[in-house]
Amino acid sequence: MNARAPQGNNVVTQSLAQIGACGLFLLTLLGAIPRSFRYLRETVRQLWFVGAMSLTIIMVCGLFVGMVLMLQLYHVLSIFGGTSASGMVVALSVYRELGPVVTALLFAGRAGTAVTAEIGLMRATDQIDAMEMMAVDPIAYVATPRFLAGLIAMPLLCCVFCAMAIFGGHLVGVTWLGIDNGTFWSNMTAQVDIHTDIVNGVLLKSLAFGAVVSLIAVFQGFTTPPTSEGVAYATTRTVVASSIAILALDFVLTAFLM
Amino acid sequence: MTDTVRATPDDATLVRIRGLTTVLNGKTIFDALDLDIPRGKITSIMGPSGTGKTTLLKHITGQMHADAGSIHLDGRNVAELSREELYKLREGVGYLFQNSALLTDFDVFENVAFPLRQHTKLPEVLIRDLVLMKLQAVGLRGAARLMPNELSGGMARRVALARAIVFDPQLILYDEPFVGLDPVALNQVLKLIQTLNQTLGITSVLVSHELAAVQQIADHVILLAKGKVVAQGDPKTIADDGSPWTRQFFGGEADGPIPFRYPAADYATELGFAGAAK
Amino acid sequence: MSQPRSSYAVGTGLFIVLGFAALAYLATQTSSVANVRQGDSYVVEAQFTNIGQLKERAPVKVAGVRVGQVQSIALKPGGDVADVKLSIEKAYDRIPQDSVATIFTSGLLGDQYVGIEYGSSKQVVAAGGTLARTKSTQPLEEMLGKFFGAGGVVDNVGGSYTVKASFTNVGTLSAGAPVKMAGVVIGSVQSVHADPVKLNADVVLAIDKRYDAIPDDSSAAVFTSGLIGSQYVAIQPGGSPDALKDGDEMILTQSALQLEDLIGKFLVNGSPGDKKDAGAGNK
Repeated sequence: MNARAPQGNNVVTQSLAQIGACGLFLLTLLGAIPRSFRYLRETVRQLWFVGAMSLTIIMVCGLFVGMVLMLQLYHVLSIFGGTSASGMVVALSVYRELGPVVTALLFAGRAGTAVTAEIGLMRATDQIDAMEMMAVDPIAYVATPRFLAGLIAMPLLCCVFCAMAIFGGHLVGVTWLGIDNGTFWSNMTAQVDIHTDIVNGVLLKSLAFGAVVSLIAVFQGFTTPPTSEGVAYATTRTVVASSIAILALDFVLTAFLM
Repeated sequence: MTDTVRATPDDATLVRIRGLTTVLNGKTIFDALDLDIPRGKITSIMGPSGTGKTTLLKHITGQMHADAGSIHLDGRNVAELSREELYKLREGVGYLFQNSALLTDFDVFENVAFPLRQHTKLPEVLIRDLVLMKLQAVGLRGAARLMPNELSGGMARRVALARAIVFDPQLILYDEPFVGLDPVALNQVLKLIQTLNQTLGITSVLVSHELAAVQQIADHVILLAKGKVVAQGDPKTIADDGSPWTRQFFGGEADGPIPFRYPAADYATELGFAGAAK
Repeated sequence: MSQPRSSYAVGTGLFIVLGFAALAYLATQTSSVANVRQGDSYVVEAQFTNIGQLKERAPVKVAGVRVGQVQSIALKPGGDVADVKLSIEKAYDRIPQDSVATIFTSGLLGDQYVGIEYGSSKQVVAAGGTLARTKSTQPLEEMLGKFFGAGGVVDNVGGSYTVKASFTNVGTLSAGAPVKMAGVVIGSVQSVHADPVKLNADVVLAIDKRYDAIPDDSSAAVFTSGLIGSQYVAIQPGGSPDALKDGDEMILTQSALQLEDLIGKFLVNGSPGDKKDAGAGNK
């Protein structure tokens, strides 16, 4: 691969060049999708690595986010005697914001860095060149399956995260703090809208975040200088760039979808 | 040494390079380079570090494009091929990387099977037999289920060689195949390269600094320096050539046409003595 | 394929199944699937003087059971009442013509919905018909509905005129607080001073010139937006033919109330009303 980290004079032009190169890389990735259909098995394998292997951290974090959210809300809402609404508020805040955003941040840290480091090391050890030489397109074989896997894994992970958060909220609210079980669920079902909260909030947002995180991770892996130092920098850049992109995109999506 | 097995009578040259010019980051790597690689022989490309020997191999496989000049591989201009044609061409070219470049996700067997799985729809039984044959050829059939990180450098090099020959290519490019090997492993790889060339008639291009090894097996030696071919011929004649380049390179002298010092301003001036004298 | 690959496939399959199971759980167990189920429906109109926080797609309920949703909300052209179109499922086509449409709040903090209380008339309301009898949001409900959003500040384009009002207790009312009528901001509090002689609070209200037909026997009350919200002055229109003028003083005032008083008032005012805000006169 001849993908190269863009050169620039200062931070602004460098960042712009990075964004531009990233956009062009996205086109290359998308263009390689038809060719990567032959490597479907590789996509499944990557889905295992970025998706299934991230399940533990996602489930544990989801549980704790739900629990702490319920604890906080209970204490605030108990001032106004509104604790019966706490289940609903947990659900809404998790579906609309916390679920997709926290899942994406965790995903960037767990799977994004792994993808960047893996591709960077593959380049450093000539594995990418070796594929080129074996007449296997590295974009179609390495980049696109990882991108697609991230795209598929994120919404699924986000759903698991949200379910665990609701479970955590239920655990603290109903089992520990004594909110009535029926009130907990009925308030939630009355207020959570399947269209605005679950489709727009959980699914669309996490799909967009999955695309952005995977793109950045794969791009950084492919453009980093193929040295151990370069891989280390690229891994850091993946986390930083993904986090900024996730939060900025979250604002834009919220503004458009809500 | 060996007879050409696959050479067509009308063309004894497999790779023909004419007027190759490459500039990388402002540095001229090749300056109108003309070079022929004979079919069915072991050709060794030598030269001081940084003369672009690896770059030359990448030009031949079309991984990098030159700024000017042409490269014909088996009569086809590499630079003019489409992606599909280039990939088709590469199936007939084996490439042994400096650091073996085994896919770390797969074990030895899957590494060797990788090109077969990607380009053929052979039944599993046939793939198994082919892979085991190639592994047997490099003496590593017993290591089929080891992962790449469990292999020594020499074993990894031999696995990579098995992978490179799994399609029975007509050309194998060896990029520094002897680097970092102990004498035993070096001789094993050396013997393999020779055997492959003799039994299968595979044209071999060897980039190496190991003079003794090269002189033992190479049919043709090409010495590159400053972007040009400075000497070529069979190992014996080139060593006796007597040109300053060959004398320095084969004699291993520290200074000569290949300078010891990197180009710099005048020493005394830079230290400030020239100014002080005034 | 060889053994290790099939274990990836199984694990990945499990992961996908788990993800979709979680999605199904979120969709069916924690959300109102009913909100998207929209069968054949017909449209009925209703007019309210104050819709509070009612939004489009809010549910329409009979006896607490969902029968449809609010299709659109618009101000009636040339009038000061809200025209609300209710989309009601075909299955519920026997709503008596004299039924009362009321805007309720689900729970204390919930969203608002339209509740229809059946009348006794033999005639049913037809598609495109109007429910003549409506009841708007009531003061406490309205205030609670505003729990999450303070009212906007009126723009002062048309200039304003000032009226005075004296209260025995203004609570935490401060200059700049909104002045509202029927829940809509019509002006702001210009100043709050203690009267050294009468020993009560003199409040000067700046009211937008566009609202120049407020009867001079209207009453002013200090209300709280929600349970913890900021306080504002609410004007309840009276019945006098003469309008308030610049510099006038409002005689009828009602000071800031304790929460207990508010709830007591809410219970008293919970009687069936007409199209006017219930209890406007007895404040």
